[in-house]
Amino acid sequence: MDTLNILLMSFISIVIVNNLVFTKFLGICPYLGVSGRIDMAFGMGMAVTFVVTLSGTMTWMIDNWILMKLGLEVTRYVCFILVIAGAVQLVEMYLRKFFPSLYDSFGIFLPLITTNCAILGLCLFINLWGINSLLEAVVLSFGAGIGFTMAICIMAGIRENLNLADVPECLKGAPITLITAGLLAMAFMGFAGMIR
Amino acid sequence: MTNSNAKTARYWQTLLAGLWRENPVFRLLLGMCPTLAVTAAVKPALTMGCCVIFVLICSNIIVSLMRNLLKPHLRILMFTLTIATFVTIADLFLKAFVPRMSEMLGPYVPLIIVNCIIICRAEACASKNGLAVSIIDALGMGIGFTLTLCVLAGVREILSTGALFEIQIIRLGSQGGWFVPWAAMSMPVGAFITLGLMLGLVNMVGKKKT
Amino acid sequence: MQQSWLLIVASFFFGLLIAVTNAALSPRIRQNEINKRNRMVTVLLPEAKDFILMDEQVEIQSLQGKKEKVEIYKVMSAADECVGWSFEAAGSGFADKIKLVIAIDKHFEKIAGIDIISSNETPGFGDQIKNDYYRDQFNGAPAGDLKLVTIGERSQIDSEIVAISGATISSEAVVEIVSNSVTQVKEQMLKKGIMGNDK
Repeated sequence: MDTLNILLMSFISIVIVNNLVFTKFLGICPYLGVSGRIDMAFGMGMAVTFVVTLSGTMTWMIDNWILMKLGLEVTRYVCFILVIAGAVQLVEMYLRKFFPSLYDSFGIFLPLITTNCAILGLCLFINLWGINSLLEAVVLSFGAGIGFTMAICIMAGIRENLNLADVPECLKGAPITLITAGLLAMAFMGFAGMIR
Repeated sequence: MTNSNAKTARYWQTLLAGLWRENPVFRLLLGMCPTLAVTAAVKPALTMGCCVIFVLICSNIIVSLMRNLLKPHLRILMFTLTIATFVTIADLFLKAFVPRMSEMLGPYVPLIIVNCIIICRAEACASKNGLAVSIIDALGMGIGFTLTLCVLAGVREILSTGALFEIQIIRLGSQGGWFVPWAAMSMPVGAFITLGLMLGLVNMVGKKKT
Repeated sequence: MQQSWLLIVASFFFGLLIAVTNAALSPRIRQNEINKRNRMVTVLLPEAKDFILMDEQVEIQSLQGKKEKVEIYKVMSAADECVGWSFEAAGSGFADKIKLVIAIDKHFEKIAGIDIISSNETPGFGDQIKNDYYRDQFNGAPAGDLKLVTIGERSQIDSEIVAISGATISSEAVVEIVSNSVTQVKEQMLKKGIMGNDK
């Protein structure tokens, strides 16, 4: 019961309170590029969730069971990025074989995810926060993906409406998206201190 | 004679491109994540900029040396491996010589590995050009990135603490002055909005020129 | 694959580079970490000269219910006498995790002081937990349960800590982290007999 409580708190904290996009500045590049329409945004979000859960778990396992036991922490970054690249390849091959329709809907997003800061960032944060249990690492990774999906869908919804608004010429595109993201970040600040 | 003149001119062009015309943050919209995260003050921004310059130059050198041996499907893997190695080395140097900065930057130093700037320059320039051009391109992009970071950090630091590089410039109310600091500037809100407004400004200046 | 020879050679070369840099710099890195903690505790316990890590591992339950191991350092003066104890504690604050170092006097009766190792609280509000006027309230406070109050006299040292106005959550987080860890560490140290042999 206690474990369930801890896991639930961790999940809510990373989806809302410590949202990766609005508080940790991770995943901005695809965020700016993709959040044009809600269905594309949702597809990207789902792809990221898929990959990040897999990578978060695998990097935690490799870090705690192999690197720390052998004292090879200095190779951490190299190992993490290789695992992430490998995970993306794995996911791509698996999807192409068993769920071709899903693979088509993800489109070009899948290979692009390797350079998504959110994935490597999450693996590093899990390391930084000293997470000791595998289950918690899995829940945090999944939560991070869900948080990213939520952030990008909110953004896409707002952007769809912005297209119809009268934005000054020099602010069209990336600048107005960033300003909107800033306002969203401010809104999400209201959740701070919710979980203790 | 004219050959070396043309070469020098080309080197200058490459160097200056990274500073304005192809500025990685303002024009190419690359490397946003560290831009927002470390620009709360000028010191971390400068440290991050120097790290990026170091990693860019080293990885461009290695990729340029390797460019004839690279097979297409191993390319990205080799780039990533190279960049990861140099980022690890840069991180070790930071932890050893400037531990306070290393703590402030935290996990954003290893995030240089997935910084689009470095992979893009390796792909677009170093894998196609000789050693000299690669180094100069790396220098230009790196300096452009660092300058951008410092400008953003300068704006945010002055507005949020009245100090620049930790030297007090405008006196705060609590120290007998008039300035009430804008705490929002040191938080994610300020980061997003400052970058958005600066991008808008750059677009405006760019449009006026053409 | 024939093309993989480049990958193998490159991996070997990079691995060598990392290993050499690591070997050259790691003593310096370790020293930096030790210096930082020592610097903080020396401010709180002025006669501190040496720090001995206690062999016995003390386990406490963090505020979120997780079991965590605490490393306790015995602080020795230049005359090789125990002047106190110090350990680190952490918990979540308003924005992110707050990490503290807590120094206790040698009989574990009073807190010598606290210092913030890392925190990410709101600048101008929660960030003031780093300021002397808040932290000084812990100097000499009883090593037991502490309570946060919103109105009170800061210069009066007792188990009541006055919050920073506009930063109740951050102030409360610090008080709870200190209370939780100090009470449990004291209990565990008595149980394991670590404290029986000071001096």
